[in-house]
Amino acid sequence: MKTTALLLGGVATALIGTALIFTPGWNLSKVHTVQTGYRGLSVGEMYTTKSEQLLKAANALPDAIDPAEAGGKKATEVYKNVKVLTDLSAAQFDRVMLGFAAWVGGEQGCNYCHNPENLADDNLYTKKVARSMIQMTRHINKDWQAHVQTTGVTCYTCHRGQPVPKGVWYKGADPKSKGAAATNYGMGHPSSVNGTTAMNTDPFSGILDGKDAIRVQASQALPTGFGAPLQKTEKTYSLMMAFSGGLGVNCTYCHGSRAFTNWTEGSPLRVNAWHGINMVRDLNANFLAPLQADWPANRLGPTGDGPKLYCLTCHQGAPKPLLGAKMAQDWAELGGVSVK
Amino acid sequence: MSIYENVFTQVQVHPKTPEEGLGGPIVDRERIGKPIISYWLGFIGNAQIGPLYLGTLGVFSLLFGFVAFEIIGLNMLASVHWDPIQFVRQLPWLALEPPKPEYGIKLFPPLAEGGWWLMAGFCMTMSVLLWWARVYRRAVALGLSTHMAWAFASAIWLMLCMGFIQPLLMGHFSEGVPFGIFPHLDWTAAFSLRYGNLYYNPFHMLSIAFLYGSALLFAMHGATILSVGRYGGEREVEQMVYRGTAAERAALFWRWTMGYNATMESIHRWGWWCAVLCPLTGGIGILLSGTVVDNWYLWAVQHNIAPSYPHVFPVTVDPAATGVPQ
Amino acid sequence: MAMLNFEKKYRVRGGTLLGGDLFDFWVGPFYVGFFGVTTFIFSLVGVAMIAYGTALDHVWNIWQINIAPPDLKYGLGLAPLKEGGIWQIVTVCALGAFGSWALREVEICRKLGIGYHVPIAFGFAILAYTTLVVFRPVLMGAWGYGFPYGILSHLDWVSNTGYQYLHFHYNPAHMLAITFFFTTCLALAMHGAVIVSAANPRQGETVRPTEYEDWFFRDVVGYSIGTLGIHRLGLFLALSAVFWSAVCILISGPFWTKGWPEWWNWWLNLPIWR
Repeated sequence: MKTTALLLGGVATALIGTALIFTPGWNLSKVHTVQTGYRGLSVGEMYTTKSEQLLKAANALPDAIDPAEAGGKKATEVYKNVKVLTDLSAAQFDRVMLGFAAWVGGEQGCNYCHNPENLADDNLYTKKVARSMIQMTRHINKDWQAHVQTTGVTCYTCHRGQPVPKGVWYKGADPKSKGAAATNYGMGHPSSVNGTTAMNTDPFSGILDGKDAIRVQASQALPTGFGAPLQKTEKTYSLMMAFSGGLGVNCTYCHGSRAFTNWTEGSPLRVNAWHGINMVRDLNANFLAPLQADWPANRLGPTGDGPKLYCLTCHQGAPKPLLGAKMAQDWAELGGVSVK
Repeated sequence: MSIYENVFTQVQVHPKTPEEGLGGPIVDRERIGKPIISYWLGFIGNAQIGPLYLGTLGVFSLLFGFVAFEIIGLNMLASVHWDPIQFVRQLPWLALEPPKPEYGIKLFPPLAEGGWWLMAGFCMTMSVLLWWARVYRRAVALGLSTHMAWAFASAIWLMLCMGFIQPLLMGHFSEGVPFGIFPHLDWTAAFSLRYGNLYYNPFHMLSIAFLYGSALLFAMHGATILSVGRYGGEREVEQMVYRGTAAERAALFWRWTMGYNATMESIHRWGWWCAVLCPLTGGIGILLSGTVVDNWYLWAVQHNIAPSYPHVFPVTVDPAATGVPQ
Repeated sequence: MAMLNFEKKYRVRGGTLLGGDLFDFWVGPFYVGFFGVTTFIFSLVGVAMIAYGTALDHVWNIWQINIAPPDLKYGLGLAPLKEGGIWQIVTVCALGAFGSWALREVEICRKLGIGYHVPIAFGFAILAYTTLVVFRPVLMGAWGYGFPYGILSHLDWVSNTGYQYLHFHYNPAHMLAITFFFTTCLALAMHGAVIVSAANPRQGETVRPTEYEDWFFRDVVGYSIGTLGIHRLGLFLALSAVFWSAVCILISGPFWTKGWPEWWNWWLNLPIWR
């Protein structure tokens, strides 16, 4: 019996040991850190040669499309039923359509939005969505330079060749527990959004599709009443997990962790992120929410709402989308700002 | 020269049948089960396991503990739609969360929104308190003083501060600790974040110092006793009454090393206080958070405790405060 | 005055590792020895350097003193004195002082004819410190990864380092370390309580001998590890706490650069249920 116990113990230890050491994610290559704070404060992002290569490969740019003349016949004169891109020349319009087919259409190309029998046909819901998204792209490039600066965005920033961008969110599913069992308000399950923690699996609702406050820390030392509850704090923490995952950065990228809420402790990048949050709120409220009636059932979330965006939608795990490549500069058609 | 280094018991000596316990008029007890001798345990300590003493208090304590355990476990199972595989897979993440903030300190919120949590908390508290009484009564029965019970009371104090008293003072049971492995870690982190960095809470500092101090003291004490094991140093109470060379050498080791030594008795008082003060101060730290101080970092700044570092960035200000249109 | 009444017969010559008879004497209650002298020198230089660094910063506030390591750009080289060089000297002094202290303990053990358990246990603490300021920085390639010497500044380092991995509580080695720390505290309270309560029994009772300690624990939890065993257990728990603390920080950075919660994906993705 003793021998059996010893053997079983040995096997269990070996299995657990192996499992812990040979699990994916361990890094054996040299780490270098971009120090972004005073020495000794342990502030900065860690990279390895491998992580940088992966990031680069994941953010390759699509083939460039030759520029088009702004002069000549207007698109509205050549094509029927042009409603949004009315300011473009026919050549520019063609160029934009080429871009859409390559960036968004996926396998179906043009036919993802267009009826090949009649290109002017508006029956496909995707075409209505596309119109709204073109307006959104132009709106971002024109009105949200506080966040995107002159780098700007194109369809490709989010779509990366796919009809639906990776990293959209829906309102949380109904809790699986039914009847009188504790709902836990969406907490207690790992997900890619909450960064595999047990915090809220939907930290977005109310914050990114509304105006709910994110800040939870008190702004004065002594209490002045019941402030943010701890459950709200966990929601904010989970939201920050989602931000971190979306940008591929750790907390110290923006914050001085000894005083998260304190702007002087953190990096100026936090100001940029603040504008980003407001941008996302604007886009979700004014571009995604109005499409609610247009989505088919297979595009709806578990509670029947349409897709909404957050940091990951554009950033796709990089601190700057497409690693800061100024792709939009070549796309004045989409509102891209060209800087000499 | 080979000398005896006390690491494990090389020659196990034990009676042919396990001891059945101290009898006589002083101790009146009901012990169940026949004790067993474990060869493996004998390498590090006593080989005998058992017998078990239950007693009325023990039975009720276990009963309450079982109910709490079941409430928590079944709610977790329900949260994965009664799927046993997902239950095991997600077990470390599964939670039983306290009531929503809306319910304040309402005693009977809906079961699904905190009612179960309150019941589990109540049962767990009852279980722990009954166990406390049991520890107290056992000490009295054996003619010992009640130091164990009071040390245990310190741990219970911390538990109640986190799960009951602080939430009560805040007027919201929502502030209590969720049940669950990772969920309680998330709560801990959230508590620190909400109250402006717990590292800046002086009672948290004290608590951590006593925690590390406990490890330090036990390492020092354990190592000292083992090192004088060849002189019989482990029979500490006997060494107190009749000071032997083990006690003398142990004392001189520390006297020569750091100029001060405890005695066979006083080291246990040092240890007891250090260990007891850890949860005691920790509980105070929890109790002050949110009730007396809302942001420990800002409190530390006010009291000239927080260091300031040279700025490596241009100073940024809160854009929300500058009236930038949103 | 400085001697206990039984002390004289224990104060024997010999047992030194280095220096022979040269420093084999006591000053008050303290044993000196060669390593006592080196401890003293290292400590003096180290404390003086901390004072110098403090004077440079004009921070005469014990909470705010901060002797910071160099910028990462200096890698594993020497940094200018005012840019982290002081930290490097203090680190060398600390390592020298800690090592000397441990060796001095060995000499005292030899004089007293007792086991080496204490210096070995202290070795674990030195190992943990060395992990923080030498092993991990060397693996990461810069001294700047060491922690700053300051009461609050080292906490800021801990905080930031934790949040560089998003949620440090999910670090499995950190979990183990904390569990060992808590268990050590529990075991110390239990051991201290049972000994004090046996030596100071209830009114009218005589001092309770060892059997009572055993029977108290058997009654309360069904097992008493015994007088010898509790000291082994206590030492094991305390050293495990230190050991796993060292492991938890050594793997953070050199071997794991992402958020710690993510590490648990291996469990979620086990082939049996993924």
